[in-house]
Amino acid sequence: MTGSSLDTTLADSVSSTGSSSAGSPKPSATASSGFPALNLDAFKTRVDVINIDGVGRTRNDILDPLVRPLFEANTFEEVVLRAHTVRRRLEELGAFKAINVFIDTSSGDNATRDGLEVTYSVVETRRVVGGVNTSIGNNNDGSVVLQLKCPNLFGRGELFQTEYEYGTKHTTGFQTSFAKPLVPWLWPQPRLTSTLFQSGFDAPWSGFRETDRGLHVDLSFKSRPSIAHSVRWEAVWRDISALTPSTAFAVREECGHSLKSSLKHILTWDQRDNPIVPSKGTLFRLQQECAGLLAGNVGFHKHELELQLNRPVPLLSDVVIQASLRAGIMKPLQKIDTVTCINDRFFIGGPLTLRGFNLHGVGPHSEGNALGATTYWNAGLHVYTPLPFRPGAGGFGDYFRAHLFANAGNIGDFAYTDDHYKNFNILLNRLRYSVGAGIVLSIGHMARFELNYCLPFGQQSGDQTSPGLQFGLGVSFVYLKMQI
Amino acid sequence: MPNVLLTESIAVELGGSDPWPDNVQLFQPFDSEQILLPDVAAVRSVQAFLRMCALPFSVDQRANAEQMSPSGAIPFIKCGAFVIADMDPIVAFVNTKGIHLSHHLDSSQRADMRAYMSLVINVLHSAELYITWTHEYTYNTITYPRYSFATPFPLDRILCWKKRRAVQAAPNPSGIRKLDSISWSDKKLVDVYDEVDSCCQALAERLGTQLYFFGDKKTELDALVYGHVSAILITPLPDTRLKDIINSYPTLIEHFRRIDNDYFKNY
Repeated sequence: MTGSSLDTTLADSVSSTGSSSAGSPKPSATASSGFPALNLDAFKTRVDVINIDGVGRTRNDILDPLVRPLFEANTFEEVVLRAHTVRRRLEELGAFKAINVFIDTSSGDNATRDGLEVTYSVVETRRVVGGVNTSIGNNNDGSVVLQLKCPNLFGRGELFQTEYEYGTKHTTGFQTSFAKPLVPWLWPQPRLTSTLFQSGFDAPWSGFRETDRGLHVDLSFKSRPSIAHSVRWEAVWRDISALTPSTAFAVREECGHSLKSSLKHILTWDQRDNPIVPSKGTLFRLQQECAGLLAGNVGFHKHELELQLNRPVPLLSDVVIQASLRAGIMKPLQKIDTVTCINDRFFIGGPLTLRGFNLHGVGPHSEGNALGATTYWNAGLHVYTPLPFRPGAGGFGDYFRAHLFANAGNIGDFAYTDDHYKNFNILLNRLRYSVGAGIVLSIGHMARFELNYCLPFGQQSGDQTSPGLQFGLGVSFVYLKMQI
Repeated sequence: MPNVLLTESIAVELGGSDPWPDNVQLFQPFDSEQILLPDVAAVRSVQAFLRMCALPFSVDQRANAEQMSPSGAIPFIKCGAFVIADMDPIVAFVNTKGIHLSHHLDSSQRADMRAYMSLVINVLHSAELYITWTHEYTYNTITYPRYSFATPFPLDRILCWKKRRAVQAAPNPSGIRKLDSISWSDKKLVDVYDEVDSCCQALAERLGTQLYFFGDKKTELDALVYGHVSAILITPLPDTRLKDIINSYPTLIEHFRRIDNDYFKNY
C-alpha cells in the first residue's frame, strides 16, 4: 500500500464548508473551471484541532506523536503536505484498513482566525486476519502459505503472525513472529521483529535435504528516506542429511548438525519503479554476515552486493536497458572448532542468474552434485521490450516483456594474493557466459516467469548446461522470499 | 532415509563384478572422545570380519560419522562408489565379490550360525544399548559427554535427548534395535545382567573346547562375538559387572585373545 499521489489526495480529501478564506482550492486549476489559479502557500493558517475518528484499540500515546507535526504548519500548502505525510505514517503503522483525511475550517469557542481542523477518519483492522497465499522462492519452487495475523495486537501497531508453508521440492515450514514499531514518529522508523521458525527443503542440485530450526531478532530502520537497513541476529540449528543413497561422497561428508549464530546487516537502496520489470531506477543491496562470534560451531564472514541499473532508451519508447552485477565473497573465521558448511556457500547458475545452465549448475561439482564455492560474481545485460505487435496492450499484455540478454559469471574457491591485477585475472579466468532471448511474465509485481532460449559458452568441467529452451520461476532479489 | 534396503541390494548386485579396491575406508566416530559402547562393538565386529577375510581397509574417524552413514548405523565402509553400513549389509557385499568366510559350513550349520548371531544381537547388543542409554548414571557420566563431543551447547542436549528417545522407542525402518519392541526399557539393570549371563552361557557351551565356534575355521559368528566381547572388556564403564560376567567365562576370554593376537595386535 503506497500513498496516492499528491494531486488525488488534494482533490478528494480536502473538503471545506463555509465561507472562510480557504475557498475551494485546486492547485492546478485550469482556466476552463472558471477559478483563478491559486498560490496555496500564500494562505497563512494554522491547525487548531486534529481529530481522529474511529479509533478503538489503538493507543493515544502512539497516535499523539504521529499527528503532532501538523501543528507546526504555517501555510495551507504545508498543512496539506504534512497531512499527507501523517496519513502515510498512520498507514505504515499497520493498524488501520482505511484512512481518510478531511481539512475543514475550525469553528467553536477556541477557534482562531484562519484556523483549520483536520480530521482523520480511520477504520481499524480486525483483530484476527487469516489468508492463504502463494509464495515463490528462488530455486524454481513455489509453495502455499497459510497465514494468521493479529495486527495492532496491543494497540501500538504490534503484529503477531504465524504461517505454515507447504510447497514443491518437499518444502515445509512453520514460522511465528512478533513485530513492534519502536518509535514510529521518528524518521528512521525503527521496527523490532522476533521470529521463531522451522523449515525444511530439498536441494536436489547438491543432493541434500536441509532442515532449519531457529530464531532471529531483527531491527530494521531507515538512515535516509530511501535507504533501508536491517540488522539481524539469528541462531539456527541446521540439519543436513543426504537426499538419496547416491549422493556424492563430498556432500555426504558435510551431513550432520551445525549451530550457526550470526549477525547480519542488509542495506537496501531501491529507487526503481517496479521490482520485477523496472523501467528506470537503480538498486543497490549490500548484505554482510558474520557467523560464529558468540556461539555455535559455524564460523565465517560473508559479503554480498547487488547492483542493478535501468535506463529507458532515449528515442525508442518502452525499451529498457538493464545492467546488473551480483558478487559475493566468503572467508572462514580464524577461530578453532568452526566449520563452513555447504549450505552457507555460494551457488550460481539457473534461469534467473546465469541462464543456459542448470539451476546451481555452475562451479565445483562432485559426481553431479554442486558443492558451492566461496567467491562468485554474476553480471547481466538485458534489453526489455514489449511483446512484438503488442498483443493485449493495455490489459494482460502489459505484464509480459520480451528480452534479449547476455549473462556472464564465475565462481570458485579462489586463492587471493596481494596483487590486485592478479586477483582480477583470477576472477576473469574461466568465466562462463551465455546469450539468448525470451519472454518474461511479471506476476503481481512480486515474481517472474521466464521462458528463454539460451546459448551457454565457456563451460568448465563439472558445469551442467541446458542449452535451448529454459523455463524459470523466481524473484529478482536473491535472498528474500516474497509473498504474493 | 527411505528405500535403503532396496537400493542397497541393487548396489550390492552391481558391486559384485569389481575386485576389492585398495582404498577402502571404514568410517567411525572418534575413538578416544566420542564413540559409545554399542558402536565400539559394531566397529570391532566389522573390522574383525574384514581382517579375517584378508581385505585391506583404512580407518577414518569423523565427528559426523553417524549422520554421514546412509542408514544411520556405525560403522560404514566406502568401497569405490558404494557406501554400505552395518555388519549384515557389509557381509552380503563382501559375499557378492566372491569372498566367503562360512562357505565350509553346510546348510544346517549355517542356520545354527544365524541363530547364534541373532541371539548375540538380541541380547548383547540390547544390553549395551540399555546400559549406554537407559541406565541413568552411565548416561549422565559417560554417554552425554561423549555423544555431544563435537556439538555446541545447547544443540548437544537436544540431539542427545532425541537419540535417547529413538533408542528407547518402538522400532523404525532404520534397523537399529529399539528397546521397547523387545520390552527391554522396563527391565531393571539386574535383569539385563541376567540376560547377558545366560547368553554368555549359551555361547560358551557352543564354543566348548574348540578354537572357534564352528571348528578350526573362523566364521562371521566369531567376528561378531569378538566384537562384543572386546568392546565390553576395553570400554571403561562406571559399573564393572558386565566385565565381570564376561570374565567368568574363560573360554570366551581365550577366544577373544586368540582373535585379538591374530588380527589386532600388529595393527
